[in-house]
Amino acid sequence: MSLRLHLALVLTLFVFVTGTVAFVASHNMSLDQHGQFESKHTEMRREQAENNLTQYAVYRDNYILEPRGSSFLSDSREKYLPNSLQVNAYNVFGFGVKPGSINPYLQSFQELNWAFIVSLIMGFIVLLLTFDTISGEKQSRTLALLFANPVSRASVLFGKYISTILSALFILAPGMCLSSIILILSGSVAFTGITLFEIAGFMAASVVYISCVAAFGLLASVLSKTPNVSLLFSLVFWIVFVAIIPNSALFWSQTLFPIDSPEKVNATVSAARQEINDSAPKGSWSSSRNNPFYPRHELRANNQTNLMNSEKRIRDAWYNDMFLQLDRTRYVTLLSPVSLFEYMCEAIVDGGYVRFRKNWDDMRKYQPQFLTYFKDKDAADADSPHWYNPYENYSTTRKAVNFDELPRYSEIRMPISERLASAMMYLTIIIVYSVVIFMTSFMLFIRYDVR
Amino acid sequence: MILKIALKDFYNNLVSSRFVIGFLLCLFLIPFTMIVSINDYQSQMKAYETEFKQAEENNHIRVYSEYRPEIVKAPEPLSIFSRGISHQVGNKVRILFGEKPMTATGKTAVRDNPLLNSFFSLDFTSVLAIIMSLLALLFSYDACTGEREQGTLKLLMVSSLGSWKILLGKIVGAVLTLLPVILFCYIICSLIILFHPAVAFSTAEWLSIVALFGISIVYFVFFLAVGLLISTRLRSSVTSIIVCLFIWVSTVFVIPNMAVYGAQSFVQRDTEENLRFALSDLDQKFRSEEDAYANTLPAPDWWMHFNLSGRIDGGALMGGCAKSLYERYRDLNTFREPLRVEYADKKWALQKAYIDKLDKQRKFAERLALSSPSELYRQAVSSLCKTDVPAQYRFLEKTREYREELIGYYQDEGLFESFNYFTREDPKTFMTADEIIITRTGGDFKTLADYNTNGGTWKSMDKVDIPGTNPYEYDFLDTSNMPQFHTSAGIDAKAVISVLYRAAVLLIVSILLFFLSFVSFTRYDVR
Repeated sequence: MSLRLHLALVLTLFVFVTGTVAFVASHNMSLDQHGQFESKHTEMRREQAENNLTQYAVYRDNYILEPRGSSFLSDSREKYLPNSLQVNAYNVFGFGVKPGSINPYLQSFQELNWAFIVSLIMGFIVLLLTFDTISGEKQSRTLALLFANPVSRASVLFGKYISTILSALFILAPGMCLSSIILILSGSVAFTGITLFEIAGFMAASVVYISCVAAFGLLASVLSKTPNVSLLFSLVFWIVFVAIIPNSALFWSQTLFPIDSPEKVNATVSAARQEINDSAPKGSWSSSRNNPFYPRHELRANNQTNLMNSEKRIRDAWYNDMFLQLDRTRYVTLLSPVSLFEYMCEAIVDGGYVRFRKNWDDMRKYQPQFLTYFKDKDAADADSPHWYNPYENYSTTRKAVNFDELPRYSEIRMPISERLASAMMYLTIIIVYSVVIFMTSFMLFIRYDVR
Repeated sequence: MILKIALKDFYNNLVSSRFVIGFLLCLFLIPFTMIVSINDYQSQMKAYETEFKQAEENNHIRVYSEYRPEIVKAPEPLSIFSRGISHQVGNKVRILFGEKPMTATGKTAVRDNPLLNSFFSLDFTSVLAIIMSLLALLFSYDACTGEREQGTLKLLMVSSLGSWKILLGKIVGAVLTLLPVILFCYIICSLIILFHPAVAFSTAEWLSIVALFGISIVYFVFFLAVGLLISTRLRSSVTSIIVCLFIWVSTVFVIPNMAVYGAQSFVQRDTEENLRFALSDLDQKFRSEEDAYANTLPAPDWWMHFNLSGRIDGGALMGGCAKSLYERYRDLNTFREPLRVEYADKKWALQKAYIDKLDKQRKFAERLALSSPSELYRQAVSSLCKTDVPAQYRFLEKTREYREELIGYYQDEGLFESFNYFTREDPKTFMTADEIIITRTGGDFKTLADYNTNGGTWKSMDKVDIPGTNPYEYDFLDTSNMPQFHTSAGIDAKAVISVLYRAAVLLIVSILLFFLSFVSFTRYDVR
């Protein structure tokens, strides 16, 4: 039990406990707030449905993602990411960050969840544990003694490597246990099979991450003759991985993969609108609220549909650019094991961007189903002219409908197999990364002259 | 003698690997961060320019009810050094009579791609806070323990020097080594700023950079003192550096996140929806009061609106209407607009409660973060760079004051009660409905009743144009003698106090730490 092990234990335990307590408080609060919002929202939607179906169908609704229980493992910066999807029966319009979901006067911060502790604190501790394993022995001249024993250099290095990983896990285990106990006692997170899988997956990711960082520590240790220098190397690695690479991503995204500004897209949209409106047949704008069969409603409906489709085309292309921009920026950050670990956790807990993308895709699958339902209902209504207008309540059914019968979107969490599949890429990279780094340090170690 | 020890340490440090690596790290990181920050500033500036142009165009108005000016704040040039919260909050405020400005909107608050919110970015100060504290610790952790391990501490002790002189020499040596590095960082930054075409600094801002340099030195000295104290308390260099690094990672990385997370979890705040619901309730009430009053007014002889463009917040531009309708509007405005202002005050009570809670959270986080010197440093720097929360509050307060000023002007000039509030027609040329019908139809119809009963159509009214009834024929109103919004360029006393207070805390604590290390050093076991 060296001093650094003691300090590491104290620090991780402290952060685990405070982080978990804070998580329980904030999770309960956000669940409560989300519940309030949902009940008010459902009430409003029920009123619309009971009023008339078209009103319900054309209302541009905001679907808000629910707070995720497994964010005690990794919140994947979900509170900063878009969490609301705009949808009606005809279109999924877009996404955005629900206003007021964060306090703008607070500095942006990382939650003290398990992923933060492992990626930042454990990464640091592992480097502190490894930086002098070889260089320390070089300095105290015990390395020569070690080599005099009938053990191969390979097993010396590998032994040291494994022992670091084990001691890191030894530091991590009590904190994780304590944190789980607090979570179970507080009852704010249900420990189901999925949660257990997420914890297991998280632990596996942690082991891989820790071995990667340990390989870097070993490399630093093998590279230099004295612990002082290897410590410096380790610190440089850590700063680059934790602070520089992930935090410069925004710069790279803007310089390497720029996308159109919202103003430009809006200008394109309004130019397209202008064109459609200009070429629309005369009478495309007249309306008569009280007479659904007013003949010009058909023209109006066609025009509105054209407008929607043209805007949808432009916006969807832009959204795809956004997704591409993010994906590409992520590739830049893959240089850092810290980012790799974060993406791995994100995939395992199905959070953050992965969760958003799944919901976005699912919503786009759900919307045609909703439209089909709406058209079926409309077809059954003899008082409706069946002129589908995506924005207005003029020329489709005005019958009330039972709210409970309506199809409603609900989030489907990603099944385990898919989560593993999406984590696999990052897992492979990080394993290759650690093997390469370990082999490099091994080569250097083999050639080291102990004299 | 102190100087000799200092010089010895200086030369030793200069050839050491930690100096080389530290220097290289600075050499690479500082210019890179600077370029990233300037890039950021440039895009903010571009966004500001488009929004400012837009706001200027919106200020071109034809009647007084349309004047709801938009205020856009230029990005702080010093945000290159410390971004503070400037990239999280907006910089644009629309002055409305029906609602006081509570938060700002605008492009600075949102990224073009909201998905990129998952990436954080470091500003110059954060990078400096990380690097400088680390360097300070790396150059002081073995001040004592290193000499003891080499056996040179005994030699030093037998000399005629007092032990405090030895320690002082060590401090001076470390400062001598790293001062040039910090100076070098600042000089590089200044050169980049000086020669970058997109940034122009005023004298005050250059002075602020000097102050920044001063605060950075204090921050650096603080960590030097921490390293020194730990070094005098421990016997081996390895233990010393381990302890130093644990303190470093806790203060620089753990506590700042912990403070904000704690504040967000343990300090309750309302949701924005609830506020919006409550505000729209008040809006509802306002409208029903307005309707109740409108029902008491006599009906005009003709409801026809020939030209009407409604804008938000009571804005209306009318032309060609009947005299009785204008009078009705004027009477309504006389009642409604002061009521609108009154309701804004009622709404403000709710808004104030909401932002007070946000502020409570912020203050809690800031207080917790005071336990971390790096946060103290960052707070001081962002105060100095006018990018902290109080600076944003000051801006919003200024916009609210301006709103009061503007309303005062409207009241003094009697604009709410004037016809100019919604039309440019001269009251002397107002016509009754019948007169309008006669003129416009070229005498085809004699009265409104005649027009209505004998099949008047739109077409029949287009015969003769009445000059002056198209509001768009008029020039824009001259708004130059209206109150204008001025941003204060001066230095805010509160900001200065906040900077000085934080710098002083850092300085006092580091002096205390030095004192403790002297005490500890005199008792140091040299064996």
